Amino acid sequence: MAHALRDKYAIVGTGKSQLGRVPGVSTLGLLEQAIAQALDEAGLKNSDVDGVICRGPDDMYCFHQHIARRLDINCGFSTSLDNGGASQILSISMACMAIEAGLATTVVCGYGRDSWSRTHATKEARTQTDLVPAAQRPREFGPEHGYFAAVAPHAFGARRHMHEFGTTREDFAEIACAFREHALRNPEAMMKEPLTRADYLAARYIVEPFGLFDCSILSDGAGAVVVTSAERARDLKSRPVTIKGFATFNNTKGWFEEDHMVSTAAQESGARAYKMAGVGPSDIDTGQIYDCFTYMVLTQLEDYGFARKGEGGEFVRSGALRLGGALPTNTSGGQLSEAHVEGMLQIVEGARQLQGRYDASRQVRDAEIALVSGHGGNTVCHSTLILGKA
Amino acid sequence: MSDPQTTKSAYAKPIPVPSHESRPFWEALRQHKLTMPKCSACGHRWFPPTLLCPSCRSAEVVWEPVSGRGKVFSFVNFHRNYHKGFADERPYCVAVVALDEGPRMISNVIGIAPDEVRCDMAVEVVYEDIAETATLAKFKPVG
Ligand SMILES: [Zn+2]
Repeated sequence: MAHALRDKYAIVGTGKSQLGRVPGVSTLGLLEQAIAQALDEAGLKNSDVDGVICRGPDDMYCFHQHIARRLDINCGFSTSLDNGGASQILSISMACMAIEAGLATTVVCGYGRDSWSRTHATKEARTQTDLVPAAQRPREFGPEHGYFAAVAPHAFGARRHMHEFGTTREDFAEIACAFREHALRNPEAMMKEPLTRADYLAARYIVEPFGLFDCSILSDGAGAVVVTSAERARDLKSRPVTIKGFATFNNTKGWFEEDHMVSTAAQESGARAYKMAGVGPSDIDTGQIYDCFTYMVLTQLEDYGFARKGEGGEFVRSGALRLGGALPTNTSGGQLSEAHVEGMLQIVEGARQLQGRYDASRQVRDAEIALVSGHGGNTVCHSTLILGKA
Repeated sequence: MSDPQTTKSAYAKPIPVPSHESRPFWEALRQHKLTMPKCSACGHRWFPPTLLCPSCRSAEVVWEPVSGRGKVFSFVNFHRNYHKGFADERPYCVAVVALDEGPRMISNVIGIAPDEVRCDMAVEVVYEDIAETATLAKFKPVG
């Protein structure tokens, strides 16, 4: 029997703020821009919204309240989320659950950040390169050994994968170059210059085995979507995208435990989402895979069953991720080349590909089903969203 | 012939701040003993420390010395500067060491060039006194 929530809810509007270097606009302002675009697309007034699930920088208390206030609405269900890059898909899952429970009818989900401005916009900001608030930084079992920054745990994963399966930096290069090529077709993307394999290999190391182009970019930006029932979606002006399946799974025992750093929580999250949606890897027309670092794409491609474990390198080297390839992935440029808004923009991109709204140069042909992933929360949290053309 | 006060103030890297649960770990390191929590009720060993055994919730947690031998589970080499105390040592190796007894811990592999470290390389503990109150467990290749 089909899952009771399969295809029952829909995304009816998507929005993006200005992206990249947007000094002077707060995260709240950026998210306001994205939400306005998403509601305009659906033809909804602010007063039609009765749910808000949002996330902003980690040092902002009750972020959702600020957003609801800016929309001038009271909410049947509103909250902020705390699962890092896995939060944004979780917000859509929670929207479906809240509507199913009768707590709300129309929910805005969004995320905004000002990572570029915080670290680059002023002379003071340029000395503040860590986005993690001081109170959240560990005081033992890390800093005394020089273990800092989000790049390091992911680099541990990459190194172990290279050791176990013979994966190489050439494989990571193909991921970075494919997404950059997509970004060049996306006028909103931050990165405007072509990237070659030689550029990738010549770049300085950050935390080895990762070099500069293995790392996603610091961005200001926001993304938002509007979730309501598929039934209600039929009365709205936008072309809806149905929510076929969602799941989340967190390897909360820790990234260093078991084989988590080479077989991520995407395995269990993916298996659950596929089951809910009634589809498998061969049904997916486009992947929007959380790319905080190149390696995370490679392991997730394996964890989601697009390649066997250990064969992700071969899969990407075949050109699979490119437009026209077996699994066009991160078709906006992703977080490596469009902008890093913790996965929110990849939800927007997955939905827009299924709406078929792009010109031929960046449209995935005959796209009917998209898989979007979210990863984060100290590398242990994962979420999966499977979307379908209505 | 450095004055201890000078040596202490010259140490520019972060000094660990023990928690209630981890204090015995740091105190044993002062005696150059690497210890790990062990449950007297069920025998489970784990790290980092918790108040109760995560397997059976017994409060009978003891800190037992381990062999100090293990393998590099994974490692990275820091090139970018994140802290002035480490700036002059770059690139330096940070590793996840899997102790022979099971628990895994963050440390450094020293006594070998960072680009010669390998996953699954056998390592053993070495102690580094960094302050009056703190000693770190680092690892070097066996043999
Ligand atoms: Zn026990």
